[in-house]
Amino acid sequence: MEYMMTTPAVIVQGVSKTFVLRHNPVASFKGRFIGVFNRRWRQRLEPFQALDDVSFSVNRGEAIGLLGANGSGKSTLLQIIAGIIPPTGGQVQTFGRIAPLIELGVGFHPELTGEENIYLNASLYGFQNREIRPRFTDIVEFSELQDFIDIPVKNYSSGMYMRLGFSIAVHLQPDILLADEILAVGDASFQSKCQQKIAQMQSHGMTLILVSHSMAQVQQFCSRYVRLDHGRVVESGKT
Amino acid sequence: MTVTATDAGSPQAPTKGTFARLWGYRDLVKNLVAKDIKVRYMGATLGFAWSLGNPLILFATYFLVFTYIFPSHTPHYALYLITGILHWNLFATNTAQSSEMLVGNAGLMKKLAFPRVFIPLANLLVNVVLWLAAMCVYGLLYPWLGGPWSWALLAYPAYMILYLAFLFGLSLTLAVLYVDFRDLKHIVEVMLMVLFWASPVVYPLKLVPARFLCFYKLNPLTQAIVCFDKLLYSGQMPSLKLTAGFALWTVAALSVGLYLLHRRGPRLIERL
Repeated sequence: MEYMMTTPAVIVQGVSKTFVLRHNPVASFKGRFIGVFNRRWRQRLEPFQALDDVSFSVNRGEAIGLLGANGSGKSTLLQIIAGIIPPTGGQVQTFGRIAPLIELGVGFHPELTGEENIYLNASLYGFQNREIRPRFTDIVEFSELQDFIDIPVKNYSSGMYMRLGFSIAVHLQPDILLADEILAVGDASFQSKCQQKIAQMQSHGMTLILVSHSMAQVQQFCSRYVRLDHGRVVESGKT
Repeated sequence: MTVTATDAGSPQAPTKGTFARLWGYRDLVKNLVAKDIKVRYMGATLGFAWSLGNPLILFATYFLVFTYIFPSHTPHYALYLITGILHWNLFATNTAQSSEMLVGNAGLMKKLAFPRVFIPLANLLVNVVLWLAAMCVYGLLYPWLGGPWSWALLAYPAYMILYLAFLFGLSLTLAVLYVDFRDLKHIVEVMLMVLFWASPVVYPLKLVPARFLCFYKLNPLTQAIVCFDKLLYSGQMPSLKLTAGFALWTVAALSVGLYLLHRRGPRLIERL
C-alpha cells in the first residue's frame, strides 16, 4: 500500500480566482439613464479575490479537509478542482475520475422515477448506461428505496431524495470524491452506513477532499486539513 | 485532467483527448433526449401524437387562407406549403428555445462538470425526433400530394445534415450571447415572426418582386427552404451556387457557435 501514499491524485499550484462583483446590476436603458443622475441606480463593478495563491497536494488514497468560515473560498476551490470553473491564475492537475458531490440529487428530474433518475444522474457524471446496469441493484439497496424506485422522485421525502443522490454518487466508484459538507445523510442509522461506505472506499484507494466548517467532521474522515481564510491558506497540518 | 488559468484566456485547440472525453458522455445525450420527450408529453392523453398537432394545425390554417381567401396559383400548393412549414417549424422551435439553454440549466452547470455542448445538442435532437415523426406522415402523403420521385431525393439527407448543423451553430451562438445580453430572447421572438413571412415558406420565391430579392439573398432561411423545395417539390438538384451559399451559412454559424462556447463557455458558468 506504500505506493498509494506517494502517487499524487490532486495537485493544486498557486491557484487564484478573481470574480467580478456587479453591485446594483443595471441592464436596461432606463436604469442606465437614471444612473447618470442618481448614484443609487449606478452599476459598480468590483473585483473580488475569492482565492489567492492556494497550493497543496493530495496523494492517492489520502483524505484532506478544507476548513474555513463562510465565504473563505472553500467551495470555489472545489468547483475549480472539479473543472467546473477555470482559475484566474495557477493550475490544478488531477489524476483519475472525479465525482463532485456539491449538491445531492442535482440533475434529478422531479417527474422521472427513481430508476430513470439513476441512469440520468450517472450519465451527468460521464457514465454509460451499461456501466450502471450491473450496479443498479446495489444503488437501490444502499438507498433503501426498493419499494419506491418506480415512482417519480417528486413524491419522495427530502430524506429519500438525498439517500438516492448519495447512493448514486458513492456507487460510481470515483477515484477522487469532492464533497461539499455532505458525507452523511438521513437518520442516524443511515448516516453511520454512509460513514462506513466512505471509509470502505477510502481503504480501496479513493482520494477524498471534504469541504466543511466543522473540525469534528474533518477529523472523522481526514488525516490532514488546510484552513482557508479570505481565499488564502492560513493553516495546514494533521488532524 | 489539468485545469490551468490559460484555459480561459486562450484555449488550446481541441485534442484527441477532448473528443475521447466527449465520446465518454454519449449516453448523457441519449438520456437527456429520452427524458425530454418523456416529460414533455407526460400526462397528455394523446402523448407523442401532439408533436404532429402543431405542424398540422399550422398547415391547415395557411392552406385554408391561401386556398379560399388569397388563392395561391402555385401548383400542388399543399405539398409546397407543408414542405416549407415542416422545415420552418424545426428551425423556429429550436431557435426559440436556444437562448435559454445555458441560463436555464445554471443549477446543473455550476455543480457538475459534464461537457456543456450536450445540453443544446440534446435539445436539437429532441426537436429532430419530433420532426422525424412529422416527416413519416409527410412521407406517406408525399405521392398523394403530387410529390415527384426523382434522384434528387437521394441528396436530401445531405442537405438536411447541413441544415441541422446550421441550427446547432445558431443555437450555440444564441445560448452564449444570451448570458450577457438578455434582450436577445425578445429580439429572437420578434425576428422569428418577421422571418416567417420574409422567407418563402407559404409562397414561392418567384412571386417576390425583383427589387426585394436582395433581402431574400441575405436570409439563410431562404437558401435552406429553396434547397428543400427544389429537392422535394420540384424534384431537381439545387444549383451549385445555392448549395455553396447554404453551406457557407452553415460553416459560419457552426464555427461562430463552437468558437464562442469554447472560448467563453468556461467563464460564463460563474456568471449564470
